[in-house]
Order: sequence, then C-alpha cells, then structure tokens
Amino acid sequence: MTEALTPTRLIIRLILCMFLLAAAMFVCSLIGTQKISLGSVLDGPGSAPGANTDYDIYVRVRVPRIILAALVGAALAASGVVLQAILRNPLAEPYILGISSGAALGVITAVLTGASITAGTKLGAFGAGASISVFAFLFAMATCWLVWLTGHLAGGSGITSLLLAGVIVNAFFSAVIMLLTSLIDSQQLRTIIFWLMGNIGEKDFPTLLASAIFIVAGIFGLFTICQKLNVLTFGTQEAQSLGVNPRAVTFAAFAMASFITAVAVGLSGLVGFVGLIVPHSVRLVLGPDHRQLLPASAFVGAAFVVICDTIARVIIAPAQFPVGVITAVIGGPVFLLLLARYSKKIGYQR
Amino acid sequence: MSIEVENLCFAYKAQAEILKNISFRLEQGSFLSIAGPNGTGKTTLLNLLSGLLKPTAGAIKIDDCFLQSYSIRHLAKKIAVVRQEFVPVFEFSALQVVSMARTPYLGTFAFESKVDQQAIADAIEMTDTARFANRPLNHLSGGERQRVFIARALAQQTPILLLDEPTSFLDMKHQVGIYDLLKRMQQEYGKTIVAVTHDINLTIQYADEALLLGTDSNYHIGKAKDVFSQHQIEKIFGVKTFTGKIGQENFFLPLGKFAKSRNGCASEVKQTQSEQNRRNTII
Repeated sequence: MTEALTPTRLIIRLILCMFLLAAAMFVCSLIGTQKISLGSVLDGPGSAPGANTDYDIYVRVRVPRIILAALVGAALAASGVVLQAILRNPLAEPYILGISSGAALGVITAVLTGASITAGTKLGAFGAGASISVFAFLFAMATCWLVWLTGHLAGGSGITSLLLAGVIVNAFFSAVIMLLTSLIDSQQLRTIIFWLMGNIGEKDFPTLLASAIFIVAGIFGLFTICQKLNVLTFGTQEAQSLGVNPRAVTFAAFAMASFITAVAVGLSGLVGFVGLIVPHSVRLVLGPDHRQLLPASAFVGAAFVVICDTIARVIIAPAQFPVGVITAVIGGPVFLLLLARYSKKIGYQR
Repeated sequence: MSIEVENLCFAYKAQAEILKNISFRLEQGSFLSIAGPNGTGKTTLLNLLSGLLKPTAGAIKIDDCFLQSYSIRHLAKKIAVVRQEFVPVFEFSALQVVSMARTPYLGTFAFESKVDQQAIADAIEMTDTARFANRPLNHLSGGERQRVFIARALAQQTPILLLDEPTSFLDMKHQVGIYDLLKRMQQEYGKTIVAVTHDINLTIQYADEALLLGTDSNYHIGKAKDVFSQHQIEKIFGVKTFTGKIGQENFFLPLGKFAKSRNGCASEVKQTQSEQNRRNTII
C-alpha cells in the first residue's frame, strides 16, 4: 500500500525543499557581474560607509533582489496550484488566464489616478503604497471571476474553453494597459515596459518585509484548505457529498490566490508560466495531494525564479533583461507539450 | 437513521415537474432499488436525497430532521454517494481517493488519524481494491474505478449509501460482485442502501424494496417483487417482455418488434395486442 501522508513525512519533505531553496539562494547570491568574495562580505560593513564595496553590493543589492525573486516565485507557483485545483484544469496559471494582467492593470490604474490626484508624485515606486495593492487585488479578483464565469458558461468541463477565455481577457487587458502606458510620460516608459515584461529589480527593505508577510500569510491560508481542494478537483457535486462547501472553498481559494498574485505582480510585473512549470514538476515527483503539493511548489517556485533571475542578470552582462523573458522561453514549450498531452487525454475519454 | 420523503416535487427551472408528490418512508437497514425509463427523474431523486438539489415542494427528513437542517459537513457523515465512475483530472492513486472519504472528519490541518487510517484500510479490504491501491485512477479499468468509488463511500462510514447506476459498464462478474458487497453492507453493517439502476433482473435479486418511476409522474413503491411485476414493467417501460421466474424472483427479457422469439411467448403477454400494435407504430 502507498504510504499515507502524515505530518512527519510532510515536514521532512518540506525541510528538504527548504534546503534546496536555501542552497539555490546562496549559490545565486555569489554569482553576478561583479565578482564578490564571501570572505570580504563576512568582514562586515567596515568603519566608514562604502569602505567595503563587496559587503555593500552583497547586502544592499544582491540579497534583497534574491529575496524578492523568491517571494515572487513562491506566490506565483502557489497561485498556479490553487487555480488548477479550483478550475479542474491542469493548464490554469495566473499569467495564462489573464489574472496577472488584471492585477497589472490595477497597478497602472492606481498609479495613474494617484498621480493625477497628487500631482508631481514620482511614478517609479511601483509595488509600494496601499492603494496600489488594493487596486491590484481587486482587479485580479475580478479577472479571476470573469475568467471562471466565461469558462463556466462556455461549457464548463472543457479545458480549452477556459484557456480561450483567459487569452481573450489577457488580450483585452493588454490593450488597455498599452493605452494607459502611452499616456504616461516617456521618462518612465522604460521602467514600465520592463516591469510589464516581468522585471525583478531592487526594492527597499520595508516593501520586501510587507510583501513577505502578505505572501506567506496568503500561502498559509491556502494551506489550511488544501484537503478541501483535493476533494474539489473531483467536481462540486462530489465535494458536497464529501462534506465540503464548494462555493465557500472556491471563493476563499479565488480570493487568496488573487491576493498573492496581486502582491507578486505589484513587485515584479508579469512573470509568466511559473505557476504552470513548477506545480507540474512537483506533481511528477510528489503526486497530486495538495497538502504536499502547495507548500512544496511554493519552495520550488521560489528557487526556480531565483535561478531564472540570476540567469537574467548575468547572461548578457553587464546588461540585464527581465526575468519574465526567461520564464516565458522555458514555459511556452512546456505549455504546448502539456496542452497536447491533456487534449489527447480528453479525446480518448470521448 | 430513517429516510422519509413527503409529497416531494421537483422541477428544473421553468420546466415541467419531473417528480410529483412522491412519498415514502425507508427504515434503517433497507435496500431500495429505484428504476424507471430514461428521463423520469431517477438521478434527480438521488440528488434530492443527497441534498444536492432542493425540492420545489415537499420535504425530505433524515432521522426525523429536515434534510436542509443538516450542515454540508454533518450530512456527509450521514450519507455517502457513489456516482457513475469517471476519470478525475489529476492522477490521484486509488488509496488517495479512498482517503478523501475522511474529509468531513478531519481537523483544520487535515491529516488522517489512526481511526481514519483504519476506516480506509477496512474499506479497501472489503472492496478488494488493495491490489491496485497505489495505481492512479486513470490507469484502472471502469470496474476497478467503480469499486474504488464504492470503497470511498464505505470509508465515509455513513449509515446511508446512495448509488447511481453502480453496475453500468461492468461485466457480469463485477456486477454481481458489487451487489454482493452492497447486500453484505446492508446485512452485516445495517446500512440503508438506495441504488438507481436500469438492471431490474439483477437488482430484484438483492433489493427488498423498489420504487418504479413512470413517465407521467406516477410511481409505484413497495416490496421489490410486487413492484417489478410483468404488468407494471410492460406498462411503464412500454415494451413487451418475456417474464420468467428463478426461485421466487421474476426476470424480464424485453422483446422488440423484430426479436426472433417474440411470437414464441405471445401467450405469456398479458397486454392486449391492439394496444401493443399501436405503441409499436409510434415507436
């Protein structure tokens, strides 16, 4: 008989995942355009500010950026797991379904309206400010709902109808984003375009801390409904017969998944396919039980984005490009493979 | 744990009533078989009994309390449902599927206790599914999957078991295997079994009571052998049958217009020939 999932087994596996993440973060922190020796970092900041450049670069630039990448990866991977479960669609993912662009539109709307109210405010501080987060969250949530409703009305069980809904929502929001972007003054254009492509830059410590709290809380909240998500993948009728209120769980899952997606988008813009590649790889190794899949995917997703961002930092050094480019280059082919695989499966069932 | 149905009516939005004024009472430990032509609301009735649909009029009482007064979680400890087998999206193993039965009993962090594990192991043993407990559901045959879903319903440890066509698509051996299992659940564990079925010949060998739903919202309920009589079967299904007896129970062989032995048993048919001819021309 297969071993049942016990808390002990889960904790051991999660500690292993955590080590993997810690190792990835450590190694990636040593890689960069500027060679840094670990010895001089450990020497401390030195007497005067700027005395130890290695330390300054490491602590002020590299480490925050790596933490940021890890947060974004964890949020997007967890969000992908949850969307796949509630939509019963293995190809669901916040970027593909247009939820990320919904959140992005929220961010840009907040920035534009905020800027017009308090004239002269710099537009550079993406991701900061309560109004931005609230807008991003509300837009993400609304998009979630819209995509779910469209897929639901278009025939429910079909994998492709939902994806199509996502593609259209995505196209529509992208158009609105383009329109709004063209209204923003040209100096900020590069920042915004990079951000839209999914860019991980340097963020100040308070932003990082607040985002970390939001994302960890969101993932923890989702963890408490994992068994219900397991049951919900069998359909709403089955879920109800097994004592799970499908509406309540779907709503809670949508809300929390939209929330962490919105925070991630606020931090790094549109990083795509993380929520697709990571849960599928983890599922191959650990199986589909969400109590294990969700936290493990969060750790692996964090490590994945940290590694992708390091590649984006160094591959065309000294220039850099957005991490979203790397994840899309890897994720596009993976998506097509999975689509072929699952479409075949459906054809077989008929 | 009795089931009581009082003047139950149901209609899907803006459609004609599919179930009309149905009343019956089922004591704990009964075996009820629900049969009837397609579209007479068999599955609808099962969904009403499981609390998935709300009646447009009338009421259902479980243990003398209104069905609506139970929370979803509480009801899942009273009633388990086996729907027609299907292939889930994700590749859960048979064991994982059976384990999900314990969901209504789990705490916030949702891990199975010793008691839960025992219930799961027992259900797997009773349904003889241990052989493929580790295999993903989509690698199993239809019959094996159906047994896994029945195992899940047993692991839920409910006094009432509702099944929707549990033996469709199964071969003879598995059909009998499933009915034997259900009968054992009724006799040894005192469970109430309610099964929707098209296979009257099989179900009549096992069920104590029967509910036959007709097309004009009429219905017959009573002892299985009284309800499944040749007269009633031919009237409700609108077919000519050859009816024989094995031991105490009837069996029915439907004979179509061009069936080779149709005329051979003409004497056995009680229906008037003129009515039969009229029906045949309509068909």
